[in-house]
Amino acid sequence: MNIIEIKDLKKIYNDSEIAVHALNGINLAFQQGEFAAIVGPSGSGKTTLLNILGGLDVPSEGSIQIDDINIGELSSRKLINFRLNNIGFVFQSYNLIPVLTAYENVEFIMSLQGYSKEKRKRRALELLEAVGLADRVNSRPSRLSGGQQQRVAVARALASRPKFILADEPTANLDSVSTENLLDIMEKLNLEEKITFIFSTHDQRVVKKAHRVVTLEDGKVISDESTQSP
Amino acid sequence: MIWIIAWKNIWRNKVRSLVVILAITFGLLGGVFSSAVMKGMAEQRMKEAVSRETAHIQIHNPKYIEDNEIKYTIDGESMKLAETLDTMPQVKAWSPRIKFLAMGNSANASTGVMVYGVIPEKEEAVSELWTMICDSCGTYLNGEKPNQIVIGEALARKLNLKLRSKVVLTFQDAQGNLSGAAFRVCGIYRTNNSVFDEMNVYVNKQEIAQLLAMDPAQSQEIALRLSDGETMDRVQQELAAGFPDLLVRNWKQIDPVTGMLADFLDVYLYMFMAIILLALGFGIINTMLMVILERTRELGMLTAIGMNKRRVFLMIMLESVYLSLTGAIAGMVLGYLLTIYTAWTGIDLSSLAEGFEKLGYPTMLYPYLDLNFFITLTAMVIGIGILASIYPARKALKLNPADAIRTD
Repeated sequence: MNIIEIKDLKKIYNDSEIAVHALNGINLAFQQGEFAAIVGPSGSGKTTLLNILGGLDVPSEGSIQIDDINIGELSSRKLINFRLNNIGFVFQSYNLIPVLTAYENVEFIMSLQGYSKEKRKRRALELLEAVGLADRVNSRPSRLSGGQQQRVAVARALASRPKFILADEPTANLDSVSTENLLDIMEKLNLEEKITFIFSTHDQRVVKKAHRVVTLEDGKVISDESTQSP
Repeated sequence: MIWIIAWKNIWRNKVRSLVVILAITFGLLGGVFSSAVMKGMAEQRMKEAVSRETAHIQIHNPKYIEDNEIKYTIDGESMKLAETLDTMPQVKAWSPRIKFLAMGNSANASTGVMVYGVIPEKEEAVSELWTMICDSCGTYLNGEKPNQIVIGEALARKLNLKLRSKVVLTFQDAQGNLSGAAFRVCGIYRTNNSVFDEMNVYVNKQEIAQLLAMDPAQSQEIALRLSDGETMDRVQQELAAGFPDLLVRNWKQIDPVTGMLADFLDVYLYMFMAIILLALGFGIINTMLMVILERTRELGMLTAIGMNKRRVFLMIMLESVYLSLTGAIAGMVLGYLLTIYTAWTGIDLSSLAEGFEKLGYPTMLYPYLDLNFFITLTAMVIGIGILASIYPARKALKLNPADAIRTD
């Protein structure tokens, strides 16, 4: 079953005198439980596609249906709420809140959703344990390594029980051990809990782990290969 | 949780936040203490005006106020008025006065004076002037000798008079004839108002009535001291209604400058504090703009993961209010402590005595502020914190999360 359907997606930037066609007619679909990597050279449109998928940018043409909701038609207010409840984000630079502990960072998104303190606590501790940080729950981001911070970011992304997780170059700032560790955790969550991950990446280590690799070039899909079904 | 995050956020850049907080602290300390000094000064002035100069309420024949002639007395109704005043529970004491202008002459000089013919025991219950005669400065009118006069220190200096000196008063009597008499200085008072001290002298009503060829039961003025100043307006209205032919005025109408001070001082102090807070508000805006600039990526991330605009606004507003309130509370506490200390020790401004006393202000100041001032000030600080957050928060709300996340 498709949870994401992208049809004839175009994104044209008109900021300068020359219009830039960042996405040039993308047609893609993602199913529940996919572990997919979007690859391509710089300027191929990976980040633009991820931004539009995450509701952070709007398409110039075409549509994105997530569970039958065309997110391009949502108002700004509804879109923020949609992101909160449906999409998890993992950023290249971790982007944790520095004044909060690992536990509080994970708990925070659930507080935005209005969960009770007790429910937030239970789930945040579960998730931190799942990413191997049960012993660092009270550490602030500045006391964690890059790999640990990114694992907290994954736990945070999972906390809101999203339909899928978008990860923009999640391993770009990590060393090989941390990358391997992070990928193992995400793959395990994907296999055991059927959580859908969509990455944009340059990192071949991520590509090797991905079950599906979508390659973009000049804003178009030039290949879409699956190594295993979700 | 946003409340906690906002509080933690203000301590991210400790030095910058402390600089703003200290600026607010010292701004408020200065503002609060200046207000306390002004308020204390005004309160003392008002208290002295009522207790020594005007009393709470004065009653006159309206024509006396227009012409200042002694023939315009309170007579026909005085008995009824006396009965009314004696039965009004709010009236603590009342004093009938003969009041007229005269020329005061000593061997060396002469000057115009306002003569009050008073019944000493009644006057002492209305005016505290008798307490302003120091131990070595004689006594108030005690009737031990005839033709006693109490004068102010400034007048004594001007006419070169001492205790037991002779002073001659010349004046017109009730028939318009020039009259006069010699009086002995039995007491010299000194208030904080040198102009008052130079102008007003007190003699026995019975004696001066004879010299003026007046009925001693007649008066030009009746001064009322109330048990509670808060009842002043009501008492004034009752008397004005009961005695429509008489002019009943409260001390604010008699001494409009001090009255205006009483009515507008609080407004003035709040305006003074508002100006200080406004200036500090620009400092807070500047700090919050820096905060938005520094945290662009984080704010983008928060919007991206689903923090709505209302919550982003609330977080920034809370940070601004916390900054303002932390500094303000510190400033108010320090200001309050300084006020308490100086209210206990007093502030000696005797080096500026001449100028102050001419304006009727004491040279020993006792700062004073009431609780309402601090409550209103706290509300104003919260208000300025909210106002100062609006522009930075609007900038934060305009951030595009996709661009903001990629900001270095």
